[in-house]
Amino acid sequence: MPEFLQFAFMRNAFVATTLIALMGSLVGYFVVLRRQAFASHALSNIGFAGAAGASLAGVDPMLGLLLFVMGAALVMAWTGRDLGERDVSVGMILMFSLGLGALFVNLYSANANAAIGILFGSVFGIDAGQIRWIAITSAGVLLGLGAIFRPLRFASLNPQAARAQGIPVATFDTLFLLLVGAAAAIAVPVIGSLLSSPSSSAPPPRLRPGVAVSVWGWGSPPCWHCWNRSAGCCSPTTPTCLRRRASPR
Amino acid sequence: MPSMRRWTRLTPSVAEAASASPATIEAHGLAAGKGAALAFKHVSFQIAPGSFTALVGPNGAGKTTLFEAILGLIPPRHGGIQVLGETPRRMRRQVAYVPQALALAHDDALIGREFVSAAFQAHRLGLPLPGSRRRARAAVEAALDTVGASDLASRRLSTLSGGQRQRLLIAQALVNRPRLVLLDEPLSQLDPAARDWIVAVAADLTRRGIAVIFSTHDINPVLRVCDRVLYLAQGRGRIGSVDEIICDETLSELYATPVRVIRDGGRRFVFADAPAA
Repeated sequence: MPEFLQFAFMRNAFVATTLIALMGSLVGYFVVLRRQAFASHALSNIGFAGAAGASLAGVDPMLGLLLFVMGAALVMAWTGRDLGERDVSVGMILMFSLGLGALFVNLYSANANAAIGILFGSVFGIDAGQIRWIAITSAGVLLGLGAIFRPLRFASLNPQAARAQGIPVATFDTLFLLLVGAAAAIAVPVIGSLLSSPSSSAPPPRLRPGVAVSVWGWGSPPCWHCWNRSAGCCSPTTPTCLRRRASPR
Repeated sequence: MPSMRRWTRLTPSVAEAASASPATIEAHGLAAGKGAALAFKHVSFQIAPGSFTALVGPNGAGKTTLFEAILGLIPPRHGGIQVLGETPRRMRRQVAYVPQALALAHDDALIGREFVSAAFQAHRLGLPLPGSRRRARAAVEAALDTVGASDLASRRLSTLSGGQRQRLLIAQALVNRPRLVLLDEPLSQLDPAARDWIVAVAADLTRRGIAVIFSTHDINPVLRVCDRVLYLAQGRGRIGSVDEIICDETLSELYATPVRVIRDGGRRFVFADAPAA
């Protein structure tokens, strides 16, 4: 076993990032194909407002993040029927959400670390419960995208012809944004809303789906090597990570 | 023009189906529109299998609305329409709609073959299985060959001209072997050489038993190949041969104003016949 996998928090981080990379590769394939990079990145940032609002309300920040991201995905699908027109509505939703996030953080008199942590993520702070949710969500997103792969691809490339063939383009559009929202919601606590964007892990849209999903493998071996090398001098900064580093293996 | 042998081998039933069916489209007293207004009313026509019909009319005459009615995307307000003997919604997969090439994104990194294959059995859920991929590859090669675009199979969409993109769009429409192809203003913003090529490709489809409805503002590029003209104007429609429709009497009746058709070397030009001062 590589040295870095001897630590529980490193194993968790490894499993979480691998699952998110697998999911992100297929989500990113469609995000690039449909030119929705802005929407996917906005969904990640919108999660911050949800987490801050949940902190203010005294509930789990993850719940607030999930509600805001999925709600924003629905509003984006509803307001921008045409893919080309969507950027305007995405920009307005993003600005509104970031404003709400700043307001919630200001109103919250106690420590808003949980909400602020959403901005930057905590790859070494993932616990077993989160791994379970990441696994379930990744599997759900991959299965969902696999199920609608053919009609969604055709609707992305030629929506008019797809509509003429009886493919419910608007429904698939909404479904896709919800899947992107689910992917963003589960990736944000790990990667951070500032960096998280499914399109950032996208392969070139020319690749076939099988290759697209396995594209994570291109990046993973060098990544694992780096992790292994850095495990000896790892200096995780989050409180959870520090606790895990201090605990026995 | 590409050879017919390959298509015939892949679609042996097309010609038989074409001859067995009396009409690809039958519309009686059709009225359709979006919102409160009707785009046209009392339009009756028949489209025969393997025929080339030019759908002509000014902007806003209802050409796209008629396509939507044929595809079952909007219900008729009055009258009825049947496609291949059934309601339009039930026969959607037998009908292919080709939008304008302008609708395609210009910076697409896809190559021609991948773009065309995206339409193959696209209504089905799930990932394509290995057997389906083999069939898709054969159907894509046949469709590219039909429109003379085999040389575009490995080229990126972003490097293609408008005419080349239009050919790929037609190939994409053919990949599921439709019996009716609706071409929505395919000649828009094409140079004369590309226009001729697209018209020749469309005419070639009719020789394979596929009915073609070719929407255009200008009848001249399709004069030599079209069997009938369906002219929409002022909410009315008339169908007939080129000589029956593109003449002073019919067009004056359609536009409800004096219209003059001038012939010049085989081409026809339509003018509003302004009253003398």
